[in-house]
Parts: sequence; structure tokens; C-alpha cells
Amino acid sequence: MKPHRGVGLFRSLLANCFHRYHHHGSPLVKRIGHMMELSIFRRNYLLNIVKPTLSFNDWSRRYHQDFRALWKHEAVEKYLKTLNREYQRVGQLLNSGSMNEYDQSTLSKRHTHLSTLVAAFQEIQEAEREVQEIESMCTKLDGRDEKQLLELALEEKEIINQKIDTFCKKFFQSIVPREKHDESDVILEVTSGRTTGGDICQQFTKEMFEMYQNYADYKCWTFDILNYTPAEIGGLHHAAAHISGDCVYRYLKYEGGTHRVQRIPETGLSSRMQRIHTGTMSVVVLPQPEEVDVKVYPKDLRIDTFRAKGAGGQHVNTTDSAVRIVHIPTGLTVECQQERSQQLNKEIALRTLRTRLYQQIIEKDFSQKQNARKLQIGTRAQSERIRTYNFTQDRVTDHRISYDVRNIKQFLCGEGALDELINRLLESAEMEALIEHLENFKSLEGGG
Amino acid sequence: MRLLTSLLRRMLLGLQNLYEGEGGSPAKCCVLNPHRLLRRQNFSAKVTATELVSYWRGVFEANGIPEAQESSEYIVSYVLGAKTFHSLGAGSFSSPLTLEHRQQIQQLSMKRLQRMPVQYVLGEWDFRELTLKMRPPVFIPRPETEDLVSLVLEEELQRSGSPAVIVGHQCPTVVPHPVILEIGCGSGAIALSLLSKLPKSRVIAVDKEEAAVNLTRENAQRLQLQDRIRILRYNVFSGSWEQLLSWGPVDTIVSNPPYVFHGDMTHLAEEILSYEDHGALDGGNDGMRVIKKILALAPCILKDHGSVFLEVDPRHPEMVENWLQNHPDLSLSISATHKDLFGKPRFLHIQKHKAGDRINKNSFACPSIHLPGVSC
Repeated sequence: MKPHRGVGLFRSLLANCFHRYHHHGSPLVKRIGHMMELSIFRRNYLLNIVKPTLSFNDWSRRYHQDFRALWKHEAVEKYLKTLNREYQRVGQLLNSGSMNEYDQSTLSKRHTHLSTLVAAFQEIQEAEREVQEIESMCTKLDGRDEKQLLELALEEKEIINQKIDTFCKKFFQSIVPREKHDESDVILEVTSGRTTGGDICQQFTKEMFEMYQNYADYKCWTFDILNYTPAEIGGLHHAAAHISGDCVYRYLKYEGGTHRVQRIPETGLSSRMQRIHTGTMSVVVLPQPEEVDVKVYPKDLRIDTFRAKGAGGQHVNTTDSAVRIVHIPTGLTVECQQERSQQLNKEIALRTLRTRLYQQIIEKDFSQKQNARKLQIGTRAQSERIRTYNFTQDRVTDHRISYDVRNIKQFLCGEGALDELINRLLESAEMEALIEHLENFKSLEGGG
Repeated sequence: MRLLTSLLRRMLLGLQNLYEGEGGSPAKCCVLNPHRLLRRQNFSAKVTATELVSYWRGVFEANGIPEAQESSEYIVSYVLGAKTFHSLGAGSFSSPLTLEHRQQIQQLSMKRLQRMPVQYVLGEWDFRELTLKMRPPVFIPRPETEDLVSLVLEEELQRSGSPAVIVGHQCPTVVPHPVILEIGCGSGAIALSLLSKLPKSRVIAVDKEEAAVNLTRENAQRLQLQDRIRILRYNVFSGSWEQLLSWGPVDTIVSNPPYVFHGDMTHLAEEILSYEDHGALDGGNDGMRVIKKILALAPCILKDHGSVFLEVDPRHPEMVENWLQNHPDLSLSISATHKDLFGKPRFLHIQKHKAGDRINKNSFACPSIHLPGVSC
């Protein structure tokens, strides 16, 4: 009985801290004070550390420093101490061996997870001690003869410091909470915005779609076009593609949103129109579900084809193989006319429908769990402009991390330049997630 | 002076084309003379795929060709190397076509203007995952038949997937190499789809027409499925059934026999009547001439508990049921009727019961409770 209680207590302490927070509701005043403290904490401290500078040449160096700075922070220290404590107590509990199989296996899983964290943590501490030793040694070295030695010591210190940076980065990345759908394939949709000047929106949408096609190539992913509606004047109204491969959603999830373009229309306009126009297009990135995730019942579907009327079978020979499926309970409608085989069109449409239904489910999930996340990921609440492509200044700006890239042409090739930006976004989002994680932890610690 | 008139003509025709592009009915002169428009098309140096599709749609509409838009899209996409207009690569819509492409499109479109089915015009069509050669007068597989293949696949997978049920009845524990007979293979669509989806199966495909047998053989070779298929020229009315037993009794017979009632033949579209083999469509006065023959043959060819899968007219399920009840000596009964994608009763699953079951006539309604997948 006793060990059981111990385990239970443990869980409520560490894993399900939310419970504790709610049950031991603190007085209102204290809570408000706490929230204020939290917001100050966020704005003044952590985000200042993380917020990247406008010039991005030294960004990656700063990024390491950010992690390093975080490492020194009191919240982190507390978090690590608790982790360490938990690690030891889990070890003790496991050794005592007096619990049932289920608890045993959950605890030993937790134990292995913690042991890697603790090992990394100890490595960092070790390295820091070394640095301190070298520093104290340096203060003693002042004679002329020892100048060479001093240089050596400083060199050594620099190397260890770099090592700590990498350790820190690795360590923090391992405690960043992982996204559930990172491994998933995706469906990527592009839609052109309302045109204000000539064909720039459609033209831009086409360029963007090709950029993602090239990026898929660059990442060795498979890019299957699901539908493609060109604009009559050239360019693209709407298109969708299924992209499969290694961690596609992880890399593309921050592409969802409104992309703005500023350029002088290229073709066929009167001189009156030859000025800079602003247009938009939007990207939606949906994680593609596994087959089992969503159940679609045949009775809920209405399948429309152009063949439905008349005798059918051998009596008619029509070639229109387009299929439209209506999901009656939700009213969702999907169409496919990619294939000459009606059966294949139906299968593709069903797959798309499952994705849409799945999207609805995870959207609910997201809105419940991730209200606070600043980079709005994957949701359709994408009214905010995320990026501007200014052709006249030959510059792409990502507004979320204030990141500038020169040479739009190269960027639209969907290779290194885009990949670089995506990685920056990912790093920055990971940093945010980490801070949120630590803040949650801090609030739990302090809130009881 | 001549230059001026030609200029004027081009302007006028250009205007007319614009009018078509906006969805209005095309001008009357197309009906009378599509060739004049063709000339205009050759004059202009830059024509894009989108423009060409709407141009030929106009010509087809004006000449009363059904599915004008689709026909035009399929032809243009085919020449540009894509299957459908929607799957045409992003760049292909607006870039100008080469003269060669335009001539090829024109050539194919002229065939369509003669009411030739699009599948024959292109010389190929898709059936499920396969792309098959199509050649007149061999019957063009219809989309409904894709579901017939699904039904056979379901049955085969279920049988090999649940050996336990079969063990109880002294059958081999697994069905390692199902043998399937297709009667009236046409282009080979059903037989080749089954072969490609069931890697351990073997298929005997027969047709009474030389053209069909040759086309099935060609398609089998193109898809590299020729090793597991035997293709015979065989007529169910004159051939001896022993010819079909080269691999012993078969597990399944599948067929999309001619089932159009003779009286309905005159109502068929010109595409069908002028180009497709009537022998593949005309099922006699009740549409059951070949169906009855297949069912009469089935008991001799099938293993015990073997299945017959048939595509039929929506009026047939009831008629076949009555006919089978009047012929109890065949030991066959309908175990399921399946609807097609459009909700019409289209497919019959008929099963042969074991020789011993025949004694008890009452068991007729529910003869094969031992087999999986039978709804009684």
C-alpha cells in the first residue's frame, strides 16, 4: 500500500501538475499577482533573450548564446533540480521493487528518459567546472614566463565553452515537447488572393506552388498534385498536393498562412497599372492522417458523378471520370478529377476527405491545448501575414522572426535559401515551446 | 487586297473565339465548316493548351459531339503527355504549343468529330491502376466494371485470409494459387487487374473474337503479366468446356457478358453503335443469352464452393434468380447482389454448392453456409 501511495504522489507532483494547480486553488489575489509576474517574466526576460536581432548574419551564434543564457536562468535551474530529484526517487522506488508490473514499467520508462537528461545535464556541469578551474588558474598566471601557458589556457577555455554551447542546445532540444504530427505527410493547398493589380496574385500563387514542388524535390519528398485550377490569364487560382516523405509536416507546418507579394505586374497592362501592386496568396498545410485515424462510414457519403443518370453499364460510354463526395454529417465536399479511372478518382477523393475530417479533429485539439503559442501552427486561423515577398526590393521578409533574405529568384527555387528560413523558424518555435514548457513548470511550482 | 481580307477574317474569327471563350454558344459557321477555324488556328503562332481546349470544345459543341469539353481536354492532355487536364504540369497551361503538337491534336480531334469514342481516339484508357491499349472494335471497359474487380478481389483476399473456416471442410489450409476464368475478356481489363492485384493467381482469359484475344495478349505483354495468363479464342456456344480446364477446375469465374436487351440496342449512342463490337453488347431478347450459357457451363468448370461473378443489367438479378430456381440441377444460387457506384443492382455473386448439398432442395436458398462472406 505504501509504495503505491508513493508512486501516486509522485505522479501528481510531477506529471499531472495541472491537477494540483487547480485543486489547491490559491486565493484570487495571489493568482493575479502570479499571472502578472508570469507575463513580466515572459516579456522582460525570456523573450528578450530569444528575440533575434534584425541583422541575421550573426543569428546562429546568438542562437547558441540564447540557449546558454537560458541555461543560467533560475527557472531552468529549478526545473533541472526537480528532474534530478525525480530521477533519484524513481531509482529508489525501482530498487525497492515493491510495486505492480504496470507501475514498474511506466516508472522504468520514465527512469531511462530521465537518465539521458541527467547524463547530459551532468556533462554540462562537468564542463562548467572545468571552465571555472581554468579561470581560477588564469588569475594566478601573471608572470611573463607564463604568458604562453595563459594563451593555451584561454584556448582550452574557448573550446570547452563551445562544447557547452552544443551540449546546451542538444539538451534543450531534447526537453522541447514534440509535436504530435511532425512525422506526418501533408496536404498542401495554395489559394490565390483577390487581385488588386493585374495578375500578380495568380502569378505569385503559381510561383509559390512551384517553389514548394522544388522544395519537395530538394528534401527528396514525393509531391503528388491532387488538383490544379489555373487562371485563364495565366497563373494559378488554386492547387493542392499530397507530399510524403521524412517528417514533412515538421518542415512545412510554419508555411501555412498569408503570404504577401509586392511587385510591378509583368504583363499586358496599361501604363496606368505599371506601378507597385500588393497582392496575397494563402497556404494551408494539413497533416495527412494514417488510414486508421478517421472512420468514414459509407452511409454518410453521397457520391456524385456525371455518369449517375441513365441506364449505365454497357449502355453508355462516357469519359468524364470526375468524382465528388459529400460527407453528409459535416457537409464537407471533396472533388477529384485527376485520373481517367473513376475508381482512382474516388479513392483519392476519399483520402482527401479523411484528411479534412482529421483536420477538424486536430483543430479542436489544437485550440484546446495550444492557445498561447505565438507562432500559430497548422491552424486555419491564418489571417495574419506571415511573409512578404518584395520584388522591387528583391527581398523576402518573414514577419514572425523578422528575418530578411535577399535574392527572391533564388528563394523561389525552393532550395537552400528556403530551407535555411524554415530551419530558423523551427529553431525559434522550439525555443518558444521550451520557454512555455518551463513557464508552465514554474507556474506549477509557484502556484501551489 | 488579299492581305486585307485575310486580316479582316482573322479579326472576325478572333472575335468569335472570344465569344466562345465566355461560355456563349459558338457561332454558327463552325457547324458548317470547322475547317475554316482550323486554318485560323494554324495561322496564329502562339496558342496555349487552355486556348486550344476551349477552341476544340467549341468545334465539338458546334458539331453536336457529346462531352465536348472532356473530349477536348483529354485529347490535348494526351498529346502533351498527361492523362487528364487537371494533372497537366503547372507550366503546361500557358506555354505555347509546338506546331507538331497542334497538328497531332488536330488529327485526333478530327477522329473525334467522326464520333469515335475518346478511348479509341487516344488508343489507350485507364482501368483502375492500369493503362490499357484500346482498339476498335474491342469493347471499351466501363467504370462500373472497376467495382466488379473489387468484388472478386475482396472474395479472394477473404478466402486466403481466413484459412480456419476452410480447414473444417477438408479444403487445403491456404489457397495459394487461385485459378480464375474470365469469359469475354475484351481488352483484358478484368483479367489483368486481377493478376496485378493477386500476385499468386493465374487467369485463363477467353474471348470469341480474334481482335479481343490479340488485344488482351498485347496488354498482358505491355504490363508484363503474360506469364500467369492463358489467352484462348473460345466461343461459349460452340467450344467444348474441357478446353477451359488446362489448369484443372477453377476457383472463380468472372465475366462482363453482353447484357444489353436486344430491343435497347437501337437506343445506344452513335459512339457505341458505330465503333464497338455489337457481339460484346447484345444479350439477346432478354439480355441473358450469354449469361445463361455461362451459368450452364459453370458447374462443370468450377471447384466445389467456387464463385461466379457477373456484371448484369439492373433488371437481371431477379430474372437470374428465377432462372436458377428453375434449373436446380446446376447447383448454383445467388449469394449476393451488389450495387454499383450509382446505386443500381449491377453485380451478381453466384456460388456452386457441393455435389452432396443438391439432394436437399430446401437448402437451395441457403446452400453454402460453410463459406465465409456469404450472407444467408
